[in-house]
Amino acid sequence: MIQIFDVVKMYDGSNPVLDNVSMEIAKGEFVFLTGPSGAGKTTVLKILFGWERFEKGQVLVHGINVGKLTHRNIYTLRRSMGVVFQDYKLLPNKTVFENVSFAQEVIGRDRKTIRFKTWEALKNVGLSPKKDIYPAYLSGGEQQRIAIARAMVNEPSIILADEPTGNLDPDISIEIFRLFEEMNKKGATIIFATHSQDIVRLGNHRVINLNRGKVVAS
Amino acid sequence: MIHMQTLISGFKTTLSNILNNKQTFFLSVATITISIFILGLFLMLFVNLNGFLSKWNRQVQLMAYLNDDITKSQREALVDIISKSPNVESYLEVSREEAWAEFQSNMSENLKPLLDLDFNPLPASYKIKFHDVENRLVFIRELSEILKTKKGIESVEYGEEWISRFEKFMVFSKVFLFAMGGLLCFGLTLIVSNTIRLSIYSRQDEIELMLLIGATPRFVKIPFLLEGMFQGFVGSVLALFLVGGVHYYLKNEFQSSLDSMAIKFNFISEPFLIGLVGLSVFVGLMASYISTFQFLRMLNKK
Repeated sequence: MIQIFDVVKMYDGSNPVLDNVSMEIAKGEFVFLTGPSGAGKTTVLKILFGWERFEKGQVLVHGINVGKLTHRNIYTLRRSMGVVFQDYKLLPNKTVFENVSFAQEVIGRDRKTIRFKTWEALKNVGLSPKKDIYPAYLSGGEQQRIAIARAMVNEPSIILADEPTGNLDPDISIEIFRLFEEMNKKGATIIFATHSQDIVRLGNHRVINLNRGKVVAS
Repeated sequence: MIHMQTLISGFKTTLSNILNNKQTFFLSVATITISIFILGLFLMLFVNLNGFLSKWNRQVQLMAYLNDDITKSQREALVDIISKSPNVESYLEVSREEAWAEFQSNMSENLKPLLDLDFNPLPASYKIKFHDVENRLVFIRELSEILKTKKGIESVEYGEEWISRFEKFMVFSKVFLFAMGGLLCFGLTLIVSNTIRLSIYSRQDEIELMLLIGATPRFVKIPFLLEGMFQGFVGSVLALFLVGGVHYYLKNEFQSSLDSMAIKFNFISEPFLIGLVGLSVFVGLMASYISTFQFLRMLNKK
């Protein structure tokens, strides 16, 4: 369960990027976060995984007050989430397999589990044959599938996706979107930020529309 | 407690950091080597001077010169004081005649005609030896002060002025060594922390990603802390090899001259060697801690 109450976020101290934003997302729900560029979609996601602080309001994730977490314990929140970015954020000096393994090394999983889970995640996104290839030699769609495998490999209960299809062709975007729907069917809560109405129309999910830092429709 | 896998992963990342930033790593190690080399040289000099002073101190004996007209009871009173003084090992009474004979026997043959005197100018004396204990000079000073006030004593000597000067010099050397050590450590901290900062910035994306996917701050810090410690270790070991080389050269060149004074030119003792390496590793650790702390604080301020 995610609850956001009257959150205000300002970057320069005067113009709020988020202006009293409130929303509730139930466990296992698939939600589109839409709105034009600069609406505040990315900021909402960054606040949810504790990358940005906020001036006012309250954010609860699984009952944890995100605003109260410090840099010492924020990792506990982040481990319950998987994040997928528009620019993939892959490590260029690591292979596909290593990129996915990395997410598990970071949380201290043992070698055997890492190997098994990485194989499973790569199989789910259809990238097992390309496990030893470096990201630079793969297409945008394939790179995004690595990022999705990395986000899902630790079996998080929440997956945050920030414009995951923003750099992809329409056909590939549909493939990627279906991967998120599959993760949702397995029980993960998905918050899918996008400005593309084509993607929104692909699924029958709740839409939270942001504009200039305010929720205009839900 | 640090998880074993975290440590192994930290070692791997440290190695990769070093390989990716070879130039800055070697520059930092070279700076540490030079600094610890300078500190090591001064330490070696200090250790040897200190050894020399201790040896000299052990040889110091108190000479109490007696008045020519000293009475028997005054002598007995003096002997009583000397024999009851703490840490007196032995005392020897040297008569005026014995002193004169010894003086003459020590004189060069060429100078002897100059001493063709028809009287003995030397006083009788007590040569007082002390046990080899700590604060030996304090006991010598105390007895000297007591004897000076007694009747029948002409003067008391134990090379006080020289010893005092030498002790002052050693105190100055100690202060200088500490001050120089402090300054070098401060400089090293700045240099190593900058090298680690470069290392951090070259992996900024990776660190941000680590934090995003749930790494603990400790997991992020460990590779950089290990890198700083490794720089400190390699730099100090290299420096000590250089100091060893200098010691070998100086010993070969000058030991024969020092032998005549029964002085041995020593290398830095084991506890000091370990201390220098430990200091260098600690400086490396602190420097990298400062850099990682600042970087993580910068990320958390967003």
